[in-house]
Amino acid sequence: MDLFLQTLLNGLLIGGVIATFTIAFQLTFGVLHVIDFAVGGWVVLGGYLGYYMASGLGLDGFLAIPVAFVLFGAIGYLLGPVLYNVRNSRTARPELMALALTFGLFTLLRGGMLTAWGFNTRSVATALSGESLTLGPVTVPLIRVAAALFAAAIACSLFLFLYRTRYGLAIRATAENRNNAALMGVNIRRLSANVYGLYAGITAMAGVLMGAIYSVNPEVGLRYTLFAFFVAVLAGLGSVGGAVVAALLLGVIEAYVSTYVGSSYSLLAIFATLFLVLLISPRGILRRGL
Amino acid sequence: MAAHAIRTRWLGFLFLAAMLVVLAVLPWAINNYWLRIATGALMWAGLACSWNMLGGYAGYINFGHSAFFGLGAYSSALLMNDPFGLPFLATIPAGMAVTALCAVAIGGPTLRLRGAYFAIATWAFAEVLIQFATVMDFTGGTGGIGLPPFLNERFFYFAMLVAAVLTYLVTWALFERSRFGLKVKALRDHEPAAEAMGINTALVKLQAFVLSAVAASVFGSIFAYWVTFINPKSVFGGDITDQMVVMVLLGGLGSLWGPAIGGVALFVVNRLIWMNWGDTAFYIAILGAAIVLVVLFLPNGIAGLFARRGGNGALAKAAEKLVRGGER
Repeated sequence: MDLFLQTLLNGLLIGGVIATFTIAFQLTFGVLHVIDFAVGGWVVLGGYLGYYMASGLGLDGFLAIPVAFVLFGAIGYLLGPVLYNVRNSRTARPELMALALTFGLFTLLRGGMLTAWGFNTRSVATALSGESLTLGPVTVPLIRVAAALFAAAIACSLFLFLYRTRYGLAIRATAENRNNAALMGVNIRRLSANVYGLYAGITAMAGVLMGAIYSVNPEVGLRYTLFAFFVAVLAGLGSVGGAVVAALLLGVIEAYVSTYVGSSYSLLAIFATLFLVLLISPRGILRRGL
Repeated sequence: MAAHAIRTRWLGFLFLAAMLVVLAVLPWAINNYWLRIATGALMWAGLACSWNMLGGYAGYINFGHSAFFGLGAYSSALLMNDPFGLPFLATIPAGMAVTALCAVAIGGPTLRLRGAYFAIATWAFAEVLIQFATVMDFTGGTGGIGLPPFLNERFFYFAMLVAAVLTYLVTWALFERSRFGLKVKALRDHEPAAEAMGINTALVKLQAFVLSAVAASVFGSIFAYWVTFINPKSVFGGDITDQMVVMVLLGGLGSLWGPAIGGVALFVVNRLIWMNWGDTAFYIAILGAAIVLVVLFLPNGIAGLFARRGGNGALAKAAEKLVRGGER
């Protein structure tokens, strides 16, 4: 029973971190209509930033979080218009071209990181690494609790921004109906750049947290892309609220399969679930997708 | 105009015949090292063509095409080994049958999904197969599985050559010269309209998907016997799909010869990098950069550059669309 509770808690904590970047991923789909294959690449890059700040500069890993947001936010802001142009270009199939572009970006990031840093695994050192927290019968690593709290703070700020500010309203309006939003005076092009920047920044922050909890190497990017896809399919593409639920579910499924069946089966279980959901309910189990 | 068209057509046939003759005598003109590279180039040209059947002609991006390559490879490997011990040539149709069954099972439901969901579903399917082959015992797990060695480079060269020529012939006959091809292109350009014209789009998509899967499985079978040892990463790996996608994008999406140009060009680059630096991580970065650059600056690929006016080149079509003001 203790193990059962502990697994549940671990799963929820990881799910919380996953939720941060999947919310942003969904937002990007809603606004840009692009499925970003590169999402795992941003996560890993964030992790590496944390690693270099912690081991190169001797700072605490958590200090890399704001740096990651600013740095990757800027990169995303510059990349956003490129993606927007491809998605809205007059080539024969802009949707596929945009998908291919992010796929190429992901491959480029992965290859570049493998070339630069090799296959070695690095982890982000923080003041809390190695400590653990005991709550009654359950013991969890303190780092996971801290990471989940950071993630919750990020997610809450994002939701406040989306639902309590004028600009958030513009973003939600654009995701709901881009033409009407444009008619109401929203500059879709600039908004797309901002959303992509926001998304890249948040994803890199989640990457720092993931690097602190697990560790990073260039090959794990694929895993995070899978997570984002899983959540997107479960919640329905573009559904932001559903992403939180689906991400928590993903964390729990992964934790239980790893604990009770074996960690080599966890990806298989995730893929199988993803596949079944796609077959049974292509618009997501919450039926809110596009 | 007619006379001109006939003359170009004859020139085309002459060029093709000359190329086939060159390819047929090539094994006696080069050493074994280069023969292996030529064999690989033929394989990739064929694989890129098989991906293009669905990706280029029907407009459905398949990010899990390596699944079918791997199914062919594993079918051959398992059937040639002990309890079965079948001869190699008998395992090819067996692999094709297994692949066709899987393709129908996968394609039936997923081809109803929108493009993006289909891309994710196929990708997930390929990853499931990797994981499955890794955790199962009968596939040899991570360690992989060996095949009876057969060290005759010329045999494999000609096997790949025949497979590649057949793939291109089938593509030409079915996608460029038949009603089926017109249906596929119609649903690519506007699916609801194609359906309204009475085309059974679900069936046509499934046919194109199975065709492309079966073609990939043939190359998988030959590849497994050629390299005599396979493991989940080497035949199901995402890198295989990545390469096919890049080759087709580079060569030209939805053109007959684009995949051949892209496939051969990229494979030769791959080998040159391997020879000079012995490093494949760098090649992945180059693949990525190639996709990005092609999407941004050459959306119709190399073949698009050579498209004849009024021909079926993508460039010509794009220009036509621009002239008409583009309905989008």
